[in-house]
Amino acid sequence: MKFFGLLDLLLFGCFILLIHGITESAASSPLKDPLLGVSPEDENYFKGFSTSSMIKCKDGSKKFNKSQLNDDFCDCSDGSDEPGTSACPNGKFYCKNAGHSPLILYSSRVNDGICDCCDGSDEYDGKTKCLNTCWEAGKTARDKLKKKIATYVEGVTLRRQEIEKAKLAIAKEEGELSKLKDEEKILKPLVEKLKERKEQIEKVEEEERLRIEKEENKKKEAEEAEKKETKAEDIEHAHDDIQDNIGTVDQPPQNYEEEYRKAVNDHSIKDRLPNTEAEGSIEGSLQADEQLEEGSTFSDSTGLHTENQDENIGEDTESLSREELGRRIASRWTGEKTDQHEEVDASSPDKDHQNTDELSNETNYDEEDNAYTSEEDEHKFDDDDDDDSKDQVDDFGTDDHYNPTPSQKLDSDDESDFSDISGTSGSSWLEKIQKTVKTMLDAVKLFQTPVNISDAAHVRKEYDESSAKLSKIQSRISSLTKKLNQDLGPEKEFYSFYGQCFETKQNKYVYKVCPFKQATQVEGYSTTRLGSWEKFEDSYRVMQFLNGDKCWNGPDRSMKVKLRCGLKNELTDVDEPSRCEYMALLATPALCVDSRLKELQDKLDSLNKQLPQLHDEL
Amino acid sequence: MGKPLSTLVFLLLFINCVYSWKKDEFRNCNQTPFCKRARSRKPGSCSLIAADVSISDGDLVAKLIPKESSQENPAKPLVLTISAYQDGVMRLKIDEDQTLAPPRKKRFEVPDVIVPEFLNKKLWLQRLKEERIEGGLVISSVVYLSEGYEGVIRHDPFEVFVRESGENGKKVLSLNSNGLFDFEQLKENKEDNEDWEEKFRTHTDKRPYGPQSISFDVSFYDADFPTKGPGVDDSEPYRLFNLDVFEYAHDSPFGLYGSVPFMTSHGKSRGSSGFFWLNAAEMQIDVFSPGWNNEYSSVLMLPTDQKRVDTLWMSEAGVVDAFFFIGPKPKDVVRQYTSVTGTSALPQSFAIAYHQCRWNYRDEEDVYNVDAKFDEHDIPYDVLWLDIEHTDGKRYFTWDKMLFPNPEEMQNKLAAKGRRMVTIVDPHIKRDESYYIHKEASEKGYYVKDSSGKDFDGWCWSGSSSYIDMVNPEIRSWWAEKFSYENYVGSTPSLYIWNDMNEPSVFNGPEVSMPRDALHHGDVEHRELHNAYGYYFHMATAEGLVKRNDGKDRPFVLSRAFFPGSQRYGAVWTGDNSADWDHLRVSVPMTLTLGLTGISFSGADIGGFFGNPDTELLVRWYQLGAYYPFFRGHAHHDTKRREPWLFGERNTELMREAIHIRYMLLPYFYTLFREANATGIPVIRPLWMEFPSDEKTFSNDEAFMVGNGLLVQGIYTQRAKHVSVYLPGDESWYDMKSGSAYKGRAIHKLEALEDSIPSFQRAGTIIPRKDRFRRSSTQMEYDPYTLVIALNSSKSAEGELYVDDGKTFEFQQGSYIHRRFTFSNGRLTSSNAGPATAGDHKYVSECTVERIILLGLSTQPKTALIEPENRKVDITWGPLLLRGGPGPSVLTIRKPNVRIADDWTIQIL
Repeated sequence: MKFFGLLDLLLFGCFILLIHGITESAASSPLKDPLLGVSPEDENYFKGFSTSSMIKCKDGSKKFNKSQLNDDFCDCSDGSDEPGTSACPNGKFYCKNAGHSPLILYSSRVNDGICDCCDGSDEYDGKTKCLNTCWEAGKTARDKLKKKIATYVEGVTLRRQEIEKAKLAIAKEEGELSKLKDEEKILKPLVEKLKERKEQIEKVEEEERLRIEKEENKKKEAEEAEKKETKAEDIEHAHDDIQDNIGTVDQPPQNYEEEYRKAVNDHSIKDRLPNTEAEGSIEGSLQADEQLEEGSTFSDSTGLHTENQDENIGEDTESLSREELGRRIASRWTGEKTDQHEEVDASSPDKDHQNTDELSNETNYDEEDNAYTSEEDEHKFDDDDDDDSKDQVDDFGTDDHYNPTPSQKLDSDDESDFSDISGTSGSSWLEKIQKTVKTMLDAVKLFQTPVNISDAAHVRKEYDESSAKLSKIQSRISSLTKKLNQDLGPEKEFYSFYGQCFETKQNKYVYKVCPFKQATQVEGYSTTRLGSWEKFEDSYRVMQFLNGDKCWNGPDRSMKVKLRCGLKNELTDVDEPSRCEYMALLATPALCVDSRLKELQDKLDSLNKQLPQLHDEL
Repeated sequence: MGKPLSTLVFLLLFINCVYSWKKDEFRNCNQTPFCKRARSRKPGSCSLIAADVSISDGDLVAKLIPKESSQENPAKPLVLTISAYQDGVMRLKIDEDQTLAPPRKKRFEVPDVIVPEFLNKKLWLQRLKEERIEGGLVISSVVYLSEGYEGVIRHDPFEVFVRESGENGKKVLSLNSNGLFDFEQLKENKEDNEDWEEKFRTHTDKRPYGPQSISFDVSFYDADFPTKGPGVDDSEPYRLFNLDVFEYAHDSPFGLYGSVPFMTSHGKSRGSSGFFWLNAAEMQIDVFSPGWNNEYSSVLMLPTDQKRVDTLWMSEAGVVDAFFFIGPKPKDVVRQYTSVTGTSALPQSFAIAYHQCRWNYRDEEDVYNVDAKFDEHDIPYDVLWLDIEHTDGKRYFTWDKMLFPNPEEMQNKLAAKGRRMVTIVDPHIKRDESYYIHKEASEKGYYVKDSSGKDFDGWCWSGSSSYIDMVNPEIRSWWAEKFSYENYVGSTPSLYIWNDMNEPSVFNGPEVSMPRDALHHGDVEHRELHNAYGYYFHMATAEGLVKRNDGKDRPFVLSRAFFPGSQRYGAVWTGDNSADWDHLRVSVPMTLTLGLTGISFSGADIGGFFGNPDTELLVRWYQLGAYYPFFRGHAHHDTKRREPWLFGERNTELMREAIHIRYMLLPYFYTLFREANATGIPVIRPLWMEFPSDEKTFSNDEAFMVGNGLLVQGIYTQRAKHVSVYLPGDESWYDMKSGSAYKGRAIHKLEALEDSIPSFQRAGTIIPRKDRFRRSSTQMEYDPYTLVIALNSSKSAEGELYVDDGKTFEFQQGSYIHRRFTFSNGRLTSSNAGPATAGDHKYVSECTVERIILLGLSTQPKTALIEPENRKVDITWGPLLLRGGPGPSVLTIRKPNVRIADDWTIQIL
């Protein structure tokens, strides 16, 4: 083979001499190896020259002869005649890199003075000397790969365990769900019957009440006719009448509750206002105006100011101090709010506390510290899920990040107190209730007038209790259904993420990622929502959170959490590559997939296979 | 910068629309007393006459006195001087008479703008000819200007003009023909009930010297492009006042970052002329519609046989120091103007390649990632920029230690790939006692003072800040020292500088700038030099970069503010534009206008600074921006990332191809930059500069010429299906992508292609290219050339190639290769276009020509013979462009491999 190559070279050299009769000028140094830069897959393509003097460019656009192969002139626009030179901008150069992995370069890297291949084969024009570093580079790469494989080996086991656990838990929950559904099926008609009975009783009671009232009225009228003289008595009687009327109404007036709430609120507003003012700084009411105006700017979705607002700003700047004016004008470019906007809600007391916090969080972006600082480390956010980004898995253990709370149970409504109806005693409880209701329904004589008061109370109590239980069952059903309907991964490997949050602290912020729920950024007491759960993306390698709090002069916040294989769930490297678009890494065993482990092992095998060869060459 | 300067042909239509800029925060003419006063004057109201006209020290001198000066208050005369310079330049100076009672204050004359060589070109006037014009009623004095041109001063009323020689010679340019001249002389004291103070919004201008404005009318004759400019009453004049305008409107005559008080006129019959007023105070210029002064025609006695455009020039302070340029070709006017203010500096070769910027690349990791992504996607770039956030609290010359702990290592890593970095250095200095720049500057008294004499304290990025007084050469030299590698810790030889906010921008100042009564070195008020502040800052920074390498390397400094002469110190850009199609569109007249004022090295932010461009707009912007002399992508920090690989594979490919076009044409661009350096003629040119007698080109500012050989037509609308392009001249044009020929002097309606904007090579030109693509221009140094020969109807063509080391000042000693290629009678000849002997300083290059493409040859030859080697090479069919998929086949001389340094001929057999 090697001998054959040499022969080729001689022929090639002769060809040039025949055609030009004169040696080439310095720029196109004839290649020692005419097949330089040819990848193993392409060797067959160039064997075409052993049977024919011309071969076609790969794209079929043209034909070229052997002297045109690697002659430093681009004949094929796809670069197929120049695998070893920089002549074709579309070409690719293959370097063997014995001892390390082969590399395919853009032709633009050939003889450009920069060593790209660890074997130095891309720089052969004599202008640049490249050392062969493949052995060291290969060793480092292999060591790294080995480490990564070790992580994967362990991770794959953890992942399997997780999946097993998830399967059991899901089965259990599914069991619970179907049982609850059964119970619901039984309980629902009972509650309905009770409700019906309760209403019947109430109807009877109402009729009874009306009858009595009527009788009393009659009686009253009769009495009235008799005693017309004493005014005082009259009045007193009327008073009684009203009292009675009130007594018969067993519901408070419909609006009462609402009115009450309002009244309380009014009261609390009054309480709060002086407070809010006290919190405010000296600038006083001017700021309130400013804030209102700034507030309207927040909602300006175009990001550009409209004329009207500008005029407002324009008028207002007249009354600002020099420094405030400076900050104000600067904020046009920066999009930052100036200090005075920290006390936000003085003029809008109806906003809840949470909102206030979020706003002030947005506003107290300090002039000097606004440069978003991320902790330094080697992690990168690669858009492509290429080897490099996967390689990062090794580094997770060594990071000295803020010690993240590994996981946190999420206290959410769906974990509400459920002890009284769940558990093994469920069926016996249900039987009991069935029995009671039956007895009760049988016992209460509907058409008996007046209704037996203790019976009625019994029915009411029983109805209240069982309907409460029904609604608990229903809410549990809905939360279980919600959970089981989530996309928990093809193998339910993300089951344990449900109801969990992952935290990491970077500088002054704590980032909190709650899969299937939301992502937030917490600073002190203020919380900014970075997004609500949207979905997994990119074959379950990315979690996406969308529609977070709006950015001033920008989009709604959003977050992407890239998942990597790691031995424990660990959130790191929150970053904001574009304003208000966050990214983070989450290491988790859930990503330690068998197939990837095999790929890595294969890669290591193939690297190792090259080693003896390298030894020969050394 | 919409019209920091105006050229008559480039006035835009003014549309009343709602701007996002805060109009109310800026003064209009009515709120500007001198402007209001000047505009209210009636034509013919100037009563000054020229007296004592004589020749003195080679100049024409005269006194301007009122015709009827009152006895009790005799007006002080003004002193007028006219001088002539080689190559058709007349200079007119008018100032107060310094020999009378010592003036309270000397009026400000802008220093360090006129190049010393210009003063050496003065013609020593010897003879004064008196003549009676207008039927013998009016006495005039005439001096020789240049071959065929005379300078004339009419005595009563006084008028100064340039005319073609002879008593009945046609006028070219004139001053005070409409009698609007007015010169407010400095007064000793306030008169009773006179209030010198001026208030605008919350700011008070004390104006301790009172009114001192100057205004006059200038007329341009035989101009074909009388404008649709603003009328006198209902519209604003062009305002020349350097301002930092937030979200500027693309269609306003309002002041922006830079000012060049220079106007060019062009007409088919005579050609071009120009007028330049060297004055750094606020200036307002009205361009009148024809017939504006009809009711005064009996008073004015203006010539009726010539078309004329009248303009009114108003300035708040200073003196009259005006230059008349006689043309007559458009290129002559630029050459004459740049003979006064200097030609463009020759940039280093990296600086004309692609720049990648964003506010802000956050930290070193971000820098490495962006750098790596360019390589990953095979997109070349040369320079990565760091905006204000890289500093420690906006203290320039420092680094944020958290974000950029190892700046030198970072620069060196990029430099290993032949790439440079740029950091920002602004003129506002943080008032922080622990900051060494502030400490030194305040101790040495180097800051601009407020009207009470204390260091002026304004608000900018760095918070409470003071501003270095750059008008003083001593302070500039101190500033320049700050760029030495010892002083600027963390800087390396691959680091260059960006000067922003140098209008100067002062967030809490009047109109977001410095108060006019602030004081500079020598008790010069800020009002007198405002427009030149940024220029001096740019100058000092550029000098710093020259000094740090002992004068060896050419500096690169980008500035936002500019003034006449800025071209000598580096590049400028069109500031904070917006991501919309209108801003893409207006970037062309803006950069063309800059070119006409000698500021050749300019461009607009690709993609638009504010807002998010949609992908199509971004791609179109790259396709157009690849032809801007200064080619940089930039974005505001609120915008989404927009590096070229973030918009899907197809769009990455489109942007990559656009950038590749620029890299391919770098040899051509560099040759053009050298031409601009040698002659002042800009790199990109309006069509009428190359086709001055083709009227269809006069109002066309959507297409432009790159040099004399390429015509580029932008696509400025979304989802354009077609694009119309006017191809001027009698010769054909070759589509740069397809090689197809198109007829000249015709409008062609073309299909709008996704992958390129229309560009054509003019028949009769030869364009040098480098078709191999590299990571950055640095690696292209040794790559071979391609010559594209587009033959005209007589089967000939010519072109040039200029090459030097791309880095040092050695070229000034003749160390370069400058070739002229001519093709005629089937022979291509390469000959030396530079000086015959280069002496010791010889630039050596082994570079060869690998490919010669022949467009428009009717025969199909197979071989060519190279002389003197007597070597035969093949002619084959090859692609016109190596990138962008299979294209058309064109006749190609394969591997001639002749050295560009040598003389040779190639004969087509």
